[in-house]
Amino acid sequence: MMRSLAFLIKFAYRNLWRSPKRTFIMLLSLSLGTGFIIWDMNFANSGSREVMKEFLAQYAGHYHITHNNYYNPGNKKEFNNYKTLTDDQITDKSLLKLSTRRVTAPVFVSGEKKTLGVLLTGLETEKEMRLTTLPKVVTVGRFLEPSAEREIVLGKRLANRINAKIGDEVAVIGQALDGSVANDLMKVVGLLDFGGGDLEESLAFTQIKSARELMAMSDEQYHQRVTFDIDQEVLPKLPGLTVTSWTELLPEISVSIRFIDNFTWVVTFIIVLVISLGLSNTLMITFFERDQEFQSLNIIGAQTSWVTKALMLEVFMMGTVAIAAGCLLGHLSTTYFYHFPINIQLFTGGKPIIMGGMVIQPLVRIYPVMEYYWKVPLLIYFFLASTMIYPLIRVIRRSKNAI
Amino acid sequence: MQFELINVEKVYQASEENKVYGARNVNLRIPEGEFMALVGPSGSGKTTVLNLIAGLILPTGGVLKHGGSDITSLSLEERTQHRLDYMGFIFQDYQLLPILTAEENIELPLQLKGIEKNEIKERVNWALKQVGLENMGRRFPKQLSGGQQQRVSIARAIAGKPQLILADEPTANLDSKTAQEIIELFLKLNKDFNLTFIFSTHDQRLIDQVRTVLYIKDGQITETRTHNV
Repeated sequence: MMRSLAFLIKFAYRNLWRSPKRTFIMLLSLSLGTGFIIWDMNFANSGSREVMKEFLAQYAGHYHITHNNYYNPGNKKEFNNYKTLTDDQITDKSLLKLSTRRVTAPVFVSGEKKTLGVLLTGLETEKEMRLTTLPKVVTVGRFLEPSAEREIVLGKRLANRINAKIGDEVAVIGQALDGSVANDLMKVVGLLDFGGGDLEESLAFTQIKSARELMAMSDEQYHQRVTFDIDQEVLPKLPGLTVTSWTELLPEISVSIRFIDNFTWVVTFIIVLVISLGLSNTLMITFFERDQEFQSLNIIGAQTSWVTKALMLEVFMMGTVAIAAGCLLGHLSTTYFYHFPINIQLFTGGKPIIMGGMVIQPLVRIYPVMEYYWKVPLLIYFFLASTMIYPLIRVIRRSKNAI
Repeated sequence: MQFELINVEKVYQASEENKVYGARNVNLRIPEGEFMALVGPSGSGKTTVLNLIAGLILPTGGVLKHGGSDITSLSLEERTQHRLDYMGFIFQDYQLLPILTAEENIELPLQLKGIEKNEIKERVNWALKQVGLENMGRRFPKQLSGGQQQRVSIARAIAGKPQLILADEPTANLDSKTAQEIIELFLKLNKDFNLTFIFSTHDQRLIDQVRTVLYIKDGQITETRTHNV
């Protein structure tokens, strides 16, 4: 059995080199196709991932730990800022180091010209500076000083509308945790530039201590603990608390990313299909050129099944070499662009990408995604096997009718 | 075990009115050690008779027997196996696989038979020796002359130790000197190993050296001549 298989393999291998130029072209097209698909899939995945990482690192975060009734179950855009939590409730203490506390409340900010409603977020300034890229978005003035109090950073558009400048004091009015009217004066120290997006008009940040005082909260209370580790797929389980991932908090963005991922697979299918059709035609020509040879084989005693096995093995061997070379090629090009990231603005004509009201300008570092290294070859094998069906049926039919 | 054709008929029917007889009322007994030629003009039915004996085509009438068993009742796969087990073939244009060496071409039907490695080696060497190509086993067909290729084809046919060797115009593509050498090789193999040969030919030199000559016309055996060789 093994011996005749070895002969069959030798037979198939030699057949591959019957027309070296043709085999080389088939190998090249299949390996280049495989390599490109793997690179493209890695690029699409890394692009989405980097964009999300950049976006989430600016402000939104990976997941939020909150009181069970903080977010409205039907609508994560609505929240109840009377529902607070404390660190005592977080049983997994390792999370405390990796996350930052926030106090978030809707307030009115009143400047020289106007009063507008905004979302005020009290931040642990030092941690935010380490975990987020928010300070980088402050293009006028500076970010919040960790040791200072009653400082406020406003979105640029908001500052323009209420006519607030660096150094001005603005009045902040809201409703405190005890139901009383909360009000305070805060000094504008910086302006946030989100590329002119909606968030520029609706966000304001202050030190967490100042926000607590404004909202009549104790030193332990806060609304959210926010983490920024996008690579963590499994969310922690915290009894009595709710952990909400960014995909739930920002469903429109998560859907867009999923669309891009699925669309990449659709494009991959189409590319593989086109390559397969080309291959099928070449295989058909290759097989039919050997028609007389198949007849002779049959006459000297080779069953049609032996001939078809040899042909399948031939295509399988070529496919395996081409796919292996393609995987290597795809991996090498991925590795290259891991070390030399692509500026995504190459694909936007130099314009910034605005996502969820924020400007994203990432350099895409392409990461190899292991699942593509078996899913793509499987897909190509599937199509390769499919391309053989028709030529093989013709060979079988001819071998039965030719004599 | 002898091969036998009893009232065999093969009709190629293009339409109800247009019937062409490839073989008609053919009765033939092929005893072991026979050296037989089928002679006739092109289209007379020589190749059809060879194909019928080989089980490559089925008769539309009559019976084809080998050792008393009816071959026509076998399936396509069983007939292929039957050829592998009992027959060797020699073609006018040699039909060697260009991707295999002479040795590997001879080895192919032995591999299909599932013969042991050592025995394959012995048989290949034996067959190459019989056809006088002991030192040319490693050569590919394109590195051999026409006569040498036909010798490899003969070696491939005899290596499986068949009961019957069928040859279709085996000397048609060869020059007269090489053709004579091939004829002599056939005769030697027939004499030394009692191998049964049936071949179609136009070659008068070959016809003159054959024990039994069947003349065929319009699918019918019109005359049988026996020579003392």
